[in-house]
Amino acid sequence: MSVVLKSVYKAFEEIDGKPKYVLNDIRLHIHDGEFVCILGKSGCGKSTLLNLLAGYLKTDAGRISVNGQEIDGPSAQRGVVFQQHALFPWYTVMENIEFGPKLAKRKDSKKIAQELVSLVGLNGYENKYPGSLSGGMAQRVGIARALANDPEVLLMDEPLGALDAMIRQNMRREIIKIWEKTNKTVIFITHSIPEAVYLADRVVLLKEGRVEEDVKIDISRPRDVKSPEFLEYVDFFEKGLSDQEGESLITE
Amino acid sequence: MAQEKLMILRKKNNISNPANTVSRKTAAAQRSKKNKWYKISSLIGFFAVWQFISYLNVSNNWFNPVFLPSPSMIIETGYTYIVRGTLVTHLTDSFVRMFSGFAIGVLVSVIIGMLITSWKWFDNMVMPVINLIGPIPVLAFLPMFLIWFGIGEGSKIALIAYATFIPMLGYVVEGIRNTDPYLIRSAISLGATKFQVFRKITFNSALPNIFVGMKASLAFTFSALVVAEMMGASTGLGFIIVDSKNWFKMSDMFMAATLIGLEYTIFHGILTLIENVILKWKREGVSSAVEE
Ligand SMILES: Nc1ncnc2c1ncn2[C@@H]1O[C@H](COP(=O)(O)OP(=O)(O)O)[C@@H](O)[C@H]1O
Ligand SMILES: [Mg+2]
Repeated sequence: MSVVLKSVYKAFEEIDGKPKYVLNDIRLHIHDGEFVCILGKSGCGKSTLLNLLAGYLKTDAGRISVNGQEIDGPSAQRGVVFQQHALFPWYTVMENIEFGPKLAKRKDSKKIAQELVSLVGLNGYENKYPGSLSGGMAQRVGIARALANDPEVLLMDEPLGALDAMIRQNMRREIIKIWEKTNKTVIFITHSIPEAVYLADRVVLLKEGRVEEDVKIDISRPRDVKSPEFLEYVDFFEKGLSDQEGESLITE
Repeated sequence: MAQEKLMILRKKNNISNPANTVSRKTAAAQRSKKNKWYKISSLIGFFAVWQFISYLNVSNNWFNPVFLPSPSMIIETGYTYIVRGTLVTHLTDSFVRMFSGFAIGVLVSVIIGMLITSWKWFDNMVMPVINLIGPIPVLAFLPMFLIWFGIGEGSKIALIAYATFIPMLGYVVEGIRNTDPYLIRSAISLGATKFQVFRKITFNSALPNIFVGMKASLAFTFSALVVAEMMGASTGLGFIIVDSKNWFKMSDMFMAATLIGLEYTIFHGILTLIENVILKWKREGVSSAVEE
């Protein structure tokens, strides 16, 4: 479902009595089924934006609406995946995934969870506790758990940030597969340029709380990270992210 | 291609399995068996030394053996209680008082802890009072409890519950406050109401701390039990101690004290067993910082 942000402002602190905006006049229109990556350096306001979308924070000014309806706090219609996976350690893989459907009193919660276990490739791990899972597996459970409520939008805050390079590559492919199967609107936050270019239909480059670039990635999937067009996009965002020449760039 | 330039130093390690390796699991089981044996031998050794000193005392006429009865004399005393049929009454009366007081104390501490962490105004209202009266030894309150709740079971159970509640509260509050906010956010985004967040997230997250608190508070529970039974009871292990003092029955005193220790150990063990079942999820994954 479409997500619309109209002139969103957010500040946490004041300097000389004036709010210090972490997000400054953010305007975005995200379409139904679109995979959007929010790209930016650490501290540029990406998580703040996601927390506003999730409903954990309230805007200082502006409105955010999902499918025409202004958001008012967290909702089961917006699934969230965190970098730290945030699985409930006292529940098994199955119980974690079933959490949402069970709260919604769905009778087929077992079946939904079982299907998602297969979707994220965790058959055989249903009765394991999160403490015994590797980072990649835990994140798959996190994604499955967020999908279990069949939300309109999936919000992901650097979900692959804590994984090592090999697993990240794999998980990117998996995420695209899952997205293609489920047709969700995905808002995915990352500070890795290749990750954004690999995943997104559209990359929104955030810089000091403002939308610096909003670019459609016109490469057909599956994408080859070594192709010239891919590298062209990477190059473009590297230029966009560095303020002056010689400044260290963010790649992986 | 670049691969041709790669110098392959070694293709594959020859996997050799030294004959004397034991799997980690087997080794851990063996170690735990050994530890259990050490613990039991320590207890046996303690009673053996005690018995031996009593024996030396009797044979060398150091002091009147009445002052330090030997383990065998204590067992004899216990036997006479069993024959008279009063031991079971004393034991169960003490256990019922201890258990009711403990259960009430734990339950109340969880409820008050929940309210304190939910409402700042409640915290501001209640904590200063608890910080003021909390450190006062329960013994000081016994006369008041006797006047308020009468000399029956009520005053004893109330005193034991209070003695359990005070140390428990800190553990409960800390456990609730340490809940990972990301877990709470996750639960809310999955559709949990405020009460469901408490029941399924905050409570489970505080549970390990609550168990630590229960085990730590148990010593206070038992102190209060003995204090309550020493003043104004006609049954129970604490009663045996004061009653025997009046008749100078040292052996009875030692028997009661030993039984209190035994009851504590058994109850502590039961708590640990329950904890191991309920907190099963904690034992998967990294179990110790460094392997032994
Ligand atoms: N709750 C908060 N209180 C005060 N400052 C905050 C808070 N959350 C974030 N900030 C500040 O807002 C800025 C953006 O943070 P964040 O959105 O987490 O960045 P990112 O996710 O892009 O790394 C940072 O400077 C951070 O210190
Ligand atoms: Mg962040």
